[in-house]
Amino acid sequence: MSTGTAEIEITSLSKVFGAGASGFRALSDIDLTIRQGEFFTLLGPSGCGKTTLLRVIAGFEQPTEGSLRINGKEVAGEGPNSRPVNTVFQNYALFPHMSVAQNIGFGLKMLGRARSEIDATVAEMLKLVQMEAMAERKPAEISGGQQQRVALARALAPRPRVLLLDEPLSALDLKLRKGMQTELKRLQGETGITFVFVTHDQEEALTMSDRIAVMSAGRILQTGSPHQIYHTPRERFVADFIGDTNFLQVEVAGVDGDGAQVKLPGGAVHRARLPQGMRPDTGARVTVVIRPEQAQLVAPGQGALAAQVEKSVFFGTDTHVHLRLPGDAPFILRRQNTGALAEPDPGSTVGLALAEGALQVVGD
Amino acid sequence: MAEPRESHRWKWLLCAPALTILVLAASGPLLIVLVYSFLTPGNMGGVIWQFSTEGWFRVFFRRDIFDPDDITLNSAHLAVFWRSIWLSLQTTVLCAILGFPTAWFIATRPANTRTIWLFLITIPFWTNLLIRTFAIQELIRNSGTINTVLLWAGVIDAPIQMLFTEFAILIGMAYVFLPLMVLPLYAAMDKLDFRLVEAGYDLYASRLQVLRHVILPLVKPGFIAGSILVFIPSIGAYVTPRVLGGGRTLMLGNLIDLQFGQGRNWPLGAALAITLLVIVVAALMFYLRTLNRDEGGRHG
Repeated sequence: MSTGTAEIEITSLSKVFGAGASGFRALSDIDLTIRQGEFFTLLGPSGCGKTTLLRVIAGFEQPTEGSLRINGKEVAGEGPNSRPVNTVFQNYALFPHMSVAQNIGFGLKMLGRARSEIDATVAEMLKLVQMEAMAERKPAEISGGQQQRVALARALAPRPRVLLLDEPLSALDLKLRKGMQTELKRLQGETGITFVFVTHDQEEALTMSDRIAVMSAGRILQTGSPHQIYHTPRERFVADFIGDTNFLQVEVAGVDGDGAQVKLPGGAVHRARLPQGMRPDTGARVTVVIRPEQAQLVAPGQGALAAQVEKSVFFGTDTHVHLRLPGDAPFILRRQNTGALAEPDPGSTVGLALAEGALQVVGD
Repeated sequence: MAEPRESHRWKWLLCAPALTILVLAASGPLLIVLVYSFLTPGNMGGVIWQFSTEGWFRVFFRRDIFDPDDITLNSAHLAVFWRSIWLSLQTTVLCAILGFPTAWFIATRPANTRTIWLFLITIPFWTNLLIRTFAIQELIRNSGTINTVLLWAGVIDAPIQMLFTEFAILIGMAYVFLPLMVLPLYAAMDKLDFRLVEAGYDLYASRLQVLRHVILPLVKPGFIAGSILVFIPSIGAYVTPRVLGGGRTLMLGNLIDLQFGQGRNWPLGAALAITLLVIVVAALMFYLRTLNRDEGGRHG
């Protein structure tokens, strides 16, 4: 899907609001390359700087330091009206005094395109987002989901190189949101435009993105495919933010290549992957991550870990078993309810078998 | 069943205070003015209770002193009407031009300092109108601040005659009524969603295009309210044209004052007052209808 050519190149970019020592560093030293035609997601909790980064790319904010190139051209210092980038705003920001069609045609009109071309593109966009019947309505006369579609069409109409989406689905209810996720992927496929999507919803990020950058406190912690982010998180924050996670404090028994032998609570030694560039000393305490679905309940005395059952929580498709490991560490295990599995009795002792490659060492 | 209906019958009495105020304070004086305009002037002012249309006749026409049947159009009155309308229109436009950037400046300040700017805008309102008008006079008279500075700087050789001209009245009225334009404009801008301005820039609009296609249409209600608030007191202005026009450049308010004072022709004054009211109402209706037509046109 991604051709590999860089669409957006960000180098050593920082953004400070306010001046002097009281200034707030919203973005620190961002290095990021977004490839042509990919669905790229900036993911992080509120206040992590993801929206600021998006606004810097859009041109609403100018970087304090660093360089920002779009399609090879340096754009730092330029205004939003001279960048081949359009934004879908969080609350859509549709012009309330214009009809749906006028909203969609606004960008082309400002670019000075011919009336006939504007009309043709507006008709095409209305069709693309299935809003033909609403062309003459005002934004106040259509529903939230429809406003969302119009905002998309308005941003796509000038055929930008990059479409920026600032949490566009957060105002929609769950069902509509699921529909729009599919819709967005379809639109991206049909237009071939690079999408930069901002969200705090990790599930949304995992299902929609080609690549994800996880952000916290103005920094990018890790960039990678949803698979990489989920299975090989480099830092505790990333592992914690994406999906449910168990953290275990373990002792390093030895290092080999890109992995380490770690001593689990209870004494068993198991292999864990190491994040790139991390080589802990033998005997050091490190944190490992185990995803809840990568452990299995086995008979007591078997498996890598022994645990005591606290309770089971039924979720329909699966059941979460809450356990206590030796040393009182909590552990949650997810079992898919594929057969009529008996729930373990609270208080009973069980064994935990870990899947191959289940352990990932993370930095703190 | 009968009990609640009985009490219902007297419920309108609850409106009595409001009705009393409406009748006595609003309609009453207007009715008196209307009645007076159809009476005969008394020799020492006041009216004689005798029906006459002479007051209304004199609003528009004039009789020759020696030959009462020689009737000509009262061009002096018409000139005053025209000057009042024209100066009020200019005042409104000037206030809009000055008020827009002022209101925009206030609306784009940080929220905690906006109150201070609004406070500064309203301060002149607390000062007596006469004093403010004399202050303007001090600025623009021949030996006033502006002429002194210009003479000293060598820009001009002789003082510019600004006082006692229509220009002086225009400046004075724009100064006095400017807050009435700024405040409704500010209220409209305060409600403006600035993301719409960003959306405009994002969609390749220049600053001027954002102003024209996004900001101006959205603050239009503020312009409408401000224009009405400035135009109405302008057309009836009395103090400003009196002090800055020097009694040489009359506006409707001064003309009416003249009839109730030196002119001793109350019916004519009353008829002129009603004429002023009619002009204001007609202007308002014309203005609002034009706006509505624009609005309707945009749908189609």
